[in-house]
Amino acid sequence: MNPLCTPRDHTFSRRAFLGGGLGLLASPLFAEAMKQRDKQVLFVWLDGGMSQLETWDPKPNTEFGGPFRSIPTSVPGIHFGELMPKLAKQMHKLCVVRSMCTKDNAHSSGVDRIQRGDPKNRGVPYPHFGAGVAKLLGPGTSGLPPYVWIKPGSGGFRAEDAGFLGPKYGSLAFGDGKPPDNLLRHPDISAEQDTARNELRQMLDQRFAKQREKRVVEANASVFDMAEKLMARADIFDTSKLPERDRDRYGRHDLGQHMLVARQMLEAGVRFVKVTSYGWDTHGDHFNSQTTMVPKFDQAFSAILEDLEASGLLKTTLVICLSEFGRTPRINGHVGRDHWPEAWSIAMAGHGVKHGMVVGETDERGTEVKSQPFDIGAAFHTWYQALGIDSHKVEFDNAGQPLPIAHDDMLPIKEALA
Amino acid sequence: MRQTWTFVIFGAFSILLLTGSALSAETFAQRIDALLFAKAPSQADDAEFLRRVWLDFDGGIPTADEARAFLADKTADKRTKLIDKLIAAPRFAVRMADAFHVMLMERRGDNETWKAWLVESFKTNKPWDAMVREMLAPDFLDEKQRGAGYFITRRLEKVGQQDTDYPGLTRDVGRMFMGIDLQCCQCHRHLSVSDYKQIDFSGLYAVFQNLKLQPADDKHKTPWLSEGLIAAKYEFVSVLTDKKAQTAPRIPFGEEVMIPASTGDEAWLVKPDRKTKEVGQPKFSPLREIAQRVPAPKNALFAKNIANRVWFLLTGKGIVEPLDLHHTENPPTHPALLELLGKELTEHRFDLRWLIREIAFTQTYQRAGAHQRHLTAEQQLRSFLIATGERERLEKNSKPDVNVDAIKYSLADFEKAFAAALANPAKEPVLAANPSLRSALFFRNSDHVQWALKPRTGNLIDRLAKQSDPAEDLYLTVLARLPDTEEKAQLKSWIAAHADDKSKALGDFAWALLSSTEFFVNH
Repeated sequence: MNPLCTPRDHTFSRRAFLGGGLGLLASPLFAEAMKQRDKQVLFVWLDGGMSQLETWDPKPNTEFGGPFRSIPTSVPGIHFGELMPKLAKQMHKLCVVRSMCTKDNAHSSGVDRIQRGDPKNRGVPYPHFGAGVAKLLGPGTSGLPPYVWIKPGSGGFRAEDAGFLGPKYGSLAFGDGKPPDNLLRHPDISAEQDTARNELRQMLDQRFAKQREKRVVEANASVFDMAEKLMARADIFDTSKLPERDRDRYGRHDLGQHMLVARQMLEAGVRFVKVTSYGWDTHGDHFNSQTTMVPKFDQAFSAILEDLEASGLLKTTLVICLSEFGRTPRINGHVGRDHWPEAWSIAMAGHGVKHGMVVGETDERGTEVKSQPFDIGAAFHTWYQALGIDSHKVEFDNAGQPLPIAHDDMLPIKEALA
Repeated sequence: MRQTWTFVIFGAFSILLLTGSALSAETFAQRIDALLFAKAPSQADDAEFLRRVWLDFDGGIPTADEARAFLADKTADKRTKLIDKLIAAPRFAVRMADAFHVMLMERRGDNETWKAWLVESFKTNKPWDAMVREMLAPDFLDEKQRGAGYFITRRLEKVGQQDTDYPGLTRDVGRMFMGIDLQCCQCHRHLSVSDYKQIDFSGLYAVFQNLKLQPADDKHKTPWLSEGLIAAKYEFVSVLTDKKAQTAPRIPFGEEVMIPASTGDEAWLVKPDRKTKEVGQPKFSPLREIAQRVPAPKNALFAKNIANRVWFLLTGKGIVEPLDLHHTENPPTHPALLELLGKELTEHRFDLRWLIREIAFTQTYQRAGAHQRHLTAEQQLRSFLIATGERERLEKNSKPDVNVDAIKYSLADFEKAFAAALANPAKEPVLAANPSLRSALFFRNSDHVQWALKPRTGNLIDRLAKQSDPAEDLYLTVLARLPDTEEKAQLKSWIAAHADDKSKALGDFAWALLSSTEFFVNH
């Protein structure tokens, strides 16, 4: 049996993954995946479109530069917008690509398009990056769900993120940082009772497995095991028990507290953690809103970078921060900036990417990319390769049809790869 | 008219055939088995057969009494009698309606009129071709038929700013009624399936893009469809070659329907009129043409598709998989079997009840250790409520009150909770119900499950607590089989170890059985 075969009928069983001796491990792709099992991803999504001009790629004192100054960073010669003083001190950890040039300027389609890597149209929905990583690298040794999404608003199981990979690679969304339905033990059931009856269930299953198809019992066992693991780590989304100092340091706002939950998840071993912040679509009164929004981001993102470095996790974690596009250099009649996929920036850090590096540049007014422009497909190649996945060789399997994991005509951003 | 006569002739012919096969003393079920097995496979024991057949034909497990009676029955033809009893029961139509609803609508939401049409169709054993004709071109003024229209109208509902999904509807007609997924042929020839051409998609698309969803009004009790005037062929371009081509309405791999030459007033049965808001009705209805041509004996894929889907429903495996990818390079696992099923089903005028009954009689269906399937959300809910003895209480309760234990929930609450925890996501073909983290957490921690396992007058735990040796009742109720000695001893020692609260101990043991793989799968 091909381990990377069709999503509909094949189970990426954790047991199969770790148990050995099942024949699955013979595949070189699987062996490769085994080596990768400790790599993690933090994916920060600033929904609506962050302005590159007030953050990663400032153009002070130019026609479209806006009212803010730029400030030097920890890397000589590189400047950020003045609203990001904390991140400026951490530029030596970052890799900023200022030459993104993508294709969609609508939110409704752009959000999906960017997160799916905008591959060639094969008539099937592609997985989001998180689902792709969950499929290719699996849940890892933690046994926790591989793709977790921390976001304001509602939570739940988001199957649509997985596209053709099938619902099991969708995200588990923690709405407002809260756990999914039924995560906590029922109040009428004591801890001992809960453990005892669950052990009884396992015993009954083991007995049944002797007479029946093992695969069926294993499929059931693996989801109960995952539930068990998640219940045991119910603390990882609970920020109330964290030191006050951490909560202050990350910021007492959604993005800050959610980033702190993300740190907990990464420490607990979740493979892919996405954090979303909404409200970056500033068509009007842009500059006033930047003075409140960007510092919150600066605080939360710099805090997690510091902590990941201190705990050593930054060595194995790829950190990515982006939006569906940037914002127009031209300032509109409502003192706002509109959608601008033509020239914008993404930031990366951690495993597999260069540190203290800026790739590419925009022209003086920030309207166009002056160096080689990169589409999101190039970024996907970069990220997969940073995670040790050969994005030109490894393929997804769409019910028997092999499909490239990133746009087949594009190449990684070589300058960014460590 | 000609079509009707063809059917009468076919009907008479098949009676002759039937008599013929009866004479040769080989039943249809035996012919099926002969194609699959050189030697008869070992047969499921009574308990294994019992649970399988109940789940397939009733949609739930048998009660302990029903299980006990069947297991004790010593007559030779008890399996045949049980199959016939279950197929004749009112539940059969509901179970089939559930299964076909999930298959045809893929969790796009529920609709009372549609559900009622499905149940009525299976109750009266409406032939499959008639059902499909009604789904494709329903008479929305006919109370008995209009529910069928939901198949199309639901798919044409606007979602936000998105365009009306005419391509999606076109694709689903191909998938559901001919077993072909033409999605890729919207823009070019299929890249991996050489049988599927862009004209196959376009010929259907020409018909469906001509529809307009109309809201319910005084005359129509449900949303309905109007058709525009088609006077010319539909033009399409391949994005790969930029080559232009055109087609009249046409079923995949079929012949084009002649577009009548009439124009102007002549073309209309009812002329559109802006003043009276009359949308008009053209004389030429491509939809009705297609609705005659898809479900027809001449269209071999029509019979093969439904035969394959019924086989899948009863055995968990399609003869062709994916179910919607019939083509020459994806041959059936058993070509002669699919050929036979398709041919005989056509000769039996698409009588699904006949086909289901025949399959149930095969040794293949009744074999030991047949392909195990996870129960669907609907099967799990019904089985869970029968096992816990809470079904009647919930059915009676129309006014739930969270503060009163006995009426805390209604059946609708449970339906919602089980669907949320167990159902596949919308628009996913339901090939297999797979266990998920969501379902595991639901069984482990939800209040619904916990509530049903508390002792309450007349429910399972209440009943077991009154017995000195409850093992037999418990195993018959939950798993439709008797416990062996080891299992009996296990329950006894469990109760002894938790002697301080027998009801709680029984609740926990029942929970473990209800959360075990054996309960989640058919046998």
